[in-house]
Amino acid sequence: MRVIDRREVFLSAAALSLIGARAFAQSGAEVPVGVIYPLSGANAQIGVDARHALETAADIVNKSFDLDLPTAKNAGLAGLGGAKIKLIFADHQGDPQKGRAEAERLITQDKVVAIVGAFHSSVSATASVTCERYGIPYVTADSSSPSLHKRGLKFFFRTTAHDEMFSIAMFEFLDAQRKAGRKIDTLGLFFEDTIFGTDSSNVQRKLAAERGYKVVVDIKYKSNSPSLTAEVQQIKTANPDVLLPSSYTTDAILLMKTMDELGYKPKNIVAQAAGFSDKAFFDAVGDKAVGLISRASFSLDMAQKRPSILKVNEMFKARAGRDLNDNTSRQLMAVLVLADAIDRARSTDGEKIRDALATTEIPGNRTIMPWKRVKFGADGQNVDADPVLIQYVGGQFVTVYPAAVAVAEPLWPMNT
Amino acid sequence: MTELTLSRAETKSVASSIAEMRRFEILKALAIFALVAALPIIVHDVYLQNVLILTLMFAALSQSWNILGGYCGQISLGNALYFGIGAYVTSMLFVGFSITPWLGLGLGGVLAAVLAVVLGYPCFRLKGHYFSIATIVIAEIGLLLVHNWDYAGAALGIQWPVGQDGWTTLQFARNKIPYFYLALGLFVVTWFVTFFIEGSRWGYWWRAVRDNPEAARSLGVEVFRSKIAAAAVSAFFTAVGGGFYAAFVGYIDPDSVMSFRFSLLFALPAVLGGIGTLWGPAVGAAVLIPLTEILRSYAGGSGNGLDLIIYGGLVMLVALAKPDGLLSLFQLMGRGRST
Repeated sequence: MRVIDRREVFLSAAALSLIGARAFAQSGAEVPVGVIYPLSGANAQIGVDARHALETAADIVNKSFDLDLPTAKNAGLAGLGGAKIKLIFADHQGDPQKGRAEAERLITQDKVVAIVGAFHSSVSATASVTCERYGIPYVTADSSSPSLHKRGLKFFFRTTAHDEMFSIAMFEFLDAQRKAGRKIDTLGLFFEDTIFGTDSSNVQRKLAAERGYKVVVDIKYKSNSPSLTAEVQQIKTANPDVLLPSSYTTDAILLMKTMDELGYKPKNIVAQAAGFSDKAFFDAVGDKAVGLISRASFSLDMAQKRPSILKVNEMFKARAGRDLNDNTSRQLMAVLVLADAIDRARSTDGEKIRDALATTEIPGNRTIMPWKRVKFGADGQNVDADPVLIQYVGGQFVTVYPAAVAVAEPLWPMNT
Repeated sequence: MTELTLSRAETKSVASSIAEMRRFEILKALAIFALVAALPIIVHDVYLQNVLILTLMFAALSQSWNILGGYCGQISLGNALYFGIGAYVTSMLFVGFSITPWLGLGLGGVLAAVLAVVLGYPCFRLKGHYFSIATIVIAEIGLLLVHNWDYAGAALGIQWPVGQDGWTTLQFARNKIPYFYLALGLFVVTWFVTFFIEGSRWGYWWRAVRDNPEAARSLGVEVFRSKIAAAAVSAFFTAVGGGFYAAFVGYIDPDSVMSFRFSLLFALPAVLGGIGTLWGPAVGAAVLIPLTEILRSYAGGSGNGLDLIIYGGLVMLVALAKPDGLLSLFQLMGRGRST
């Protein structure tokens, strides 16, 4: 009997929360937009940050701001008589099956007009197919697997760069340095053995061959390795003109420390973001990393060239208590791109919003990103989503590439 | 002399009453299956249909786990390996060679059963906890291998093509009903397999092995072969379930079909509902799966983890109040009525 009582208490609690969620979703005549992120589980922090970013974006759409961003000026969506967008969040826990089920629930129960997600590329893979089946646009802000836009989906859009574009930007930077008369002949690859490092190095190896750079040292190491002494010795012996590391934070810190211990000063480092653009990295070994260049999707100092960034960052910081970063800036911008399309579609019909997205054309200076513009190819990929290269000088990051958003010339070489 | 004939008559009546009970059990099961099969008549919402499909699928997978874990007493925490094999064989054959998933389901099952026999030889020499630890380690090795296997998509996984719908490809666009009946079919098959094993000589052997392997051996039970056979049957159906899951989701990657989470999810419904019983896995899954799904969907969007707190609390509650599983609750009520 006692057990049944507890069960009843529990069931009524579940029922109450269920009623609460339904009432929330159905109040007012707004435009419902589905959002799927990992709100619990190992990557919950990503989802919590994303929530702040996406809600900031919804604020920009729904209220009136003096910002040169899509749909910011007037309150709500002018094309739909000032209708406001309403974000409806769902938790996918990083599981493709749950992402698919949540997308289906948002579409059939909450009648969302589009879905934004999902951080994990694996979840974007299933959720976007569900959207395709229901004729609802799926906009990914931050899933960067290169395979996603190659599936021939009609309702899939990606505002951000994919992984291959990141490495291409790094090589374009090297080409530019070469053109400016700097000697870059040899490269060193140094990468961890999970999907991130392996993929990154594969693309880099291919690009090096295509563009006439000689890879003189090519090291795959076990991630979270207790020691990198042997690996650094190899790099030191080869002494490449540019070292291209792909590592997460702990390995990146160990790499810099080991180089320092072995008295090796690399000529240049151009890193594949991850650990090398992490605050923890600079807190630990910032003094040894002066002049290090990293790829990034976003940099706050671009505000000199993109004035909206400062104000948007203030709004975000008021909610989240921290500055915009690579992830949150892209998530925020994805909602604005989607809102712009709904506004132009003048409709909540999935097919019409899709067509509006396909004809999106937003110049870079009307975004908070370093992108040239937002314009989707037939496969739904934004081809002009250029990343930036940032350099660590004077205790902070400075954008050094591409020229459109750069605020300083790169310090080159890093060590003489 | 009279005593002996009496006891013979007694044996006979016990045997016939057991046979009668088993006939009744089949009738009861058929009635339950018919009721479940009628559910889509009242459940039209695709989200709820999705919950039903997952519930039936995990009931079937937990029933497969129960064959080895419940009846033979070998607690495997590595069944995700067989689940992954089923998912990968089905996906690779279909995506790479356009071979119908139906064949993939069977092949994956056979492959998993063979692997279970091969792995069984070293593993079943271990007892109790050591066996469980070995199964965890082997499943983790499998996960790592697939993670680094480029031909199988490595960490990128395998995407099923969109748009080729029908019973030969097991893809049904927005329609969830075929998946519902497939999952129900899988559960019905695993239930009957369990039922027939329970009444067969193997079933008695396996339970003897579970209760006391030394005593069983002294009575002539083939302990080692019993374990191997139970593992093979369990692996076969787990892999078939994996193939179904791959077709249902339309995308797999190593973590989404082979992570340790799945091994736990196969064991948990059986433990919750009643380990080593015919209906335990189904009762456990019917409580556990809708609970996790609905809590996540309607309480999880806030990101404060309320759903997980409630879920964890409930599992603790059952563990404390009903360690034999939820099924013992019904049996208690039944006994109360009969006296």
